[in-house]
Order: sequence, then structure tokens, then C-alpha cells
Amino acid sequence: MNETVLRARQVRKAYRRHQVLRGVDLAVRPGQLVAVVGENGAGKSTLLKILAGTLAADGGQVRLAGTLGYCPQDPVLNDNLTAAQHLRYFAAARRLPSLHRADELVRRLGYEQSRDQTAGELSGGTRQKLNLTLALLHDPDILLLDEPYQGFDWETYLRFWDLVADLRARRKAIVIITHLVFEQDRFDLLADLADGHLTPRERSGKDDHARS
Amino acid sequence: MPVADLAPGAAAPTVSPTAPAFRQFPVAWRFALRNQSRNRLAWLLLVAFVPAWYLLMLAITGHTTLTFRLFATGRVLTVDGGHLTLITAGLNSVTIIVGFAIFAAIRRTLAFDKRLVFAGYRQATLIAAKTSAIAIVAAAVAAFTSLALLAFWRPSLSGWLAILAAFIVIALGYGAFGLFLGVLVRSDLEGFFLIIMGGLMDTFLQNPLGNPLANNPVLEWFPSFGPTQFAVGGSLGHTALWGHLALGLAWPAAFAAAGLVIFWIRTRTRVHAR
Repeated sequence: MNETVLRARQVRKAYRRHQVLRGVDLAVRPGQLVAVVGENGAGKSTLLKILAGTLAADGGQVRLAGTLGYCPQDPVLNDNLTAAQHLRYFAAARRLPSLHRADELVRRLGYEQSRDQTAGELSGGTRQKLNLTLALLHDPDILLLDEPYQGFDWETYLRFWDLVADLRARRKAIVIITHLVFEQDRFDLLADLADGHLTPRERSGKDDHARS
Repeated sequence: MPVADLAPGAAAPTVSPTAPAFRQFPVAWRFALRNQSRNRLAWLLLVAFVPAWYLLMLAITGHTTLTFRLFATGRVLTVDGGHLTLITAGLNSVTIIVGFAIFAAIRRTLAFDKRLVFAGYRQATLIAAKTSAIAIVAAAVAAFTSLALLAFWRPSLSGWLAILAAFIVIALGYGAFGLFLGVLVRSDLEGFFLIIMGGLMDTFLQNPLGNPLANNPVLEWFPSFGPTQFAVGGSLGHTALWGHLALGLAWPAAFAAAGLVIFWIRTRTRVHAR
């Protein structure tokens, strides 16, 4: 069980004098679903950005083995382009041979009817669906999702967990930032980020991989 | 921080990198152009502001006869001051509209471009696509502004072509300036202020009607110096000042180079494979 696709060691980050991460350790295996929980301002998004490589850490190491998908908390989209154009743009970025996966994700997240609307015209929830689709487009081995279901209605929320169940079944490693405590049974590991340290939470329940 | 085994732009294992469905340059080029053309305020400025500005400037200056020494040739020209002002007004319109449109488009998509690079887009491809889209937008605005001029003044064909060429060069200059500011400044207000004030000062100080010292050597160091000299020489002085047109191209080259270096730095991904 030593196989890991994501390993962070002693990751440190400060904004000026404010030390946000004081030596974070994390190891994630294929098929594992990890939640990072913490209060606002605890440094969850900072940690995910460092894991994704969009932000430089002050110290420590991050090692990833496999392709990476990162879904930022605020949708990073181009308001002048339609959802379909976003898919083509990122298919070109990833050099994908087709849009099959994109089409499947759009269908599974249930926003086919919004494909030809510009991102600026999309509702908050649909923007978030598109944001998530762009992170999953190339079927990455490791997924870093920063509060990915913000603005989702209940049905989409359930669809999201169906999708996550499929990804886990195909041994994709997933790290999700969340602050919803009631869904903790969905995860293999819950880790609290507090005072700059990530601490695995003691679990009383069993592993519940199949739940969705 | 050493980071290994991470290739953010790499394709998924199931994907053949040799058979992409969408080639990067054509996609980036088309979407860059679409992004530029979706700025409704810029369209409105182009269609409404340009004729209104010509009309207003002509109404203010009238057709006073003006005698001045063309800086580039040293020749004394006696011209219709209204025509000279129309050239200045056209140059000024182009600086504001192109500078604003490019600045807004570049600034608003910077984070998105960074995400594209993170997803594997080659920065050089994005840069090439953006640069060519900017050049097309700049040339289109310059062409429209030159055509609108004909409603107020009919210079000779060669004179009009000189004005068109000058407008294209100043449009490229302020397009590149917009790019430079778009990747550099922190707020919209700073960018708009610099473009509007820069364009006004730059173009109106070149006009001897508004500025009696328009032959001051310091004006040579302004972006609109070359295009103004070329447009006036070509349309009112029967001279083709190619060197001055080329001088005008130095500004877009310099601004674009600086802007694209900053774009490259700001969109690069911090993680490197192995």
C-alpha cells in the first residue's frame, strides 16, 4: 500500500509575515478520495494551488506521478466564449483526439442545453459545471478540486458524486476541499487544516467507497 | 521547491498526442479574434465616436488657413487647418479605441490564458495568436476611421492612402500599448487613464493648430510623431516620408516585445516536469 500518486512533504507558505502553511504532509493513493477541511482562511486553497503547481511554495516538496486536473474555486473562464468553445479550447490545449470525454461530462453534469451560451450568460452553477468539466477533460490520474460543487443544485450535486464514484472505480486519486461536514462519510480520509498543519481526522465509520 | 514527475501539459495515457482534434494555433487565433470583437463598447465608440469626433473638431477649428513648417522636411506648408485637425482627430480616435479594446481584452483574459497554459497550451502559440488578432483589429479600426474621414474631406487617393497607412501604424502602436498595459497594470482605471491621456497628449501636441510649438524636437519621441508626419506629408505636402512611417513602427515593436515578455512571465506555470 506504499504506492502514492501524490505526496507532499513539509510544504510551507507565508503571505508576508502571515505563516499559512507550516509544514503540510499529505500522501494520496490511486483510487483514494481525500477531503481537506478547515475554516475560512485556514489555507486550504493555498495548499491546493501549491499541489497543483499554480502557486510557488516557500519550502517543501510536492511529487505527483500521473496527469493532473485542477479545478479552481472561482471558475476561470472567458466570458466571451461559449461553453462549447471552452471545450474546444481546452481540447486543443490538451491535444485531445476528440471531444468524446467532454461530451460525456457535459451530459453527466446535465448542461447540454447551455453549450452554445457564452460563459458570461451562464448561471453560477453552470459556470461551476463548466469549470469542473475543464479540469476533467483529459481524464487525469490525480484530481484537485477546490469546493467543486459550489452553486450546484441537489440533482447536480448527486450527479457530481456519481461521477466521483466512477473516477474512484477507475483508480483516480481525488483531493477535494470542502467545508460540508455532513458528507464526511463519502471520503476515505478527512484531513483538518488548522494552524498551518494538516491532521488526519480519526474516523469511527468504515470505508464507504460505494456510497454516492 | 523541487517538484518531480509532474507534467501539467501532458496528455492522458489514453490519448494519442499525434492526433489532436483541434490544432492549437487556429483555435487560439479564432478565439482571440472573437474575444476582441465581442467588446460592444469598442464597437459603439468606433461607429458613433469617430464621426462625432471628426464633426466636433472640425466645428471647433473651422477651415482656417494655417502656415507651418513640416518638421520632417523643413518645408513651409500653407494648408487648411481643418484638414490637419481631421488627421489629428482620426489619429486620436484610433489611439483611444484600439488601446481600450486591446487593453480590456488582454486584461480580462489573463487568468484564463494562464489556465490554458497550465492545461498545455504553448505560450508561443497563444502569443502568436493574440498578436495577429491584435494586428487585425488594429488594421480594421484604422481602415474604418480612414473611411469615415472621407465624409468630411476628400484628399487625393495617394493622400488618403498615406492617412490610412499612418492610422494603421498608430493603431498598431496603441494596440501594442494596450497589450503592454493589459498585462502590467493592476486596475482597469489605471489602464484607461493612461491610454486616454497618453493618446490625447501624444496626438494633439503634434498639431501646430493646437500647439504652436509642434516643431519642438521633443515631439520626435512621441509614438504619433512618425505617423503624423507621414499622414501630413502624404496628404498635404505631397511627400512620402517612409522613414517616418518606419519610425512609427518602432513603437508597436517595442511595446509588443515588452508586453509579450510580461505575458510570458505572468502565464508561465511554476511546475516543471522532472
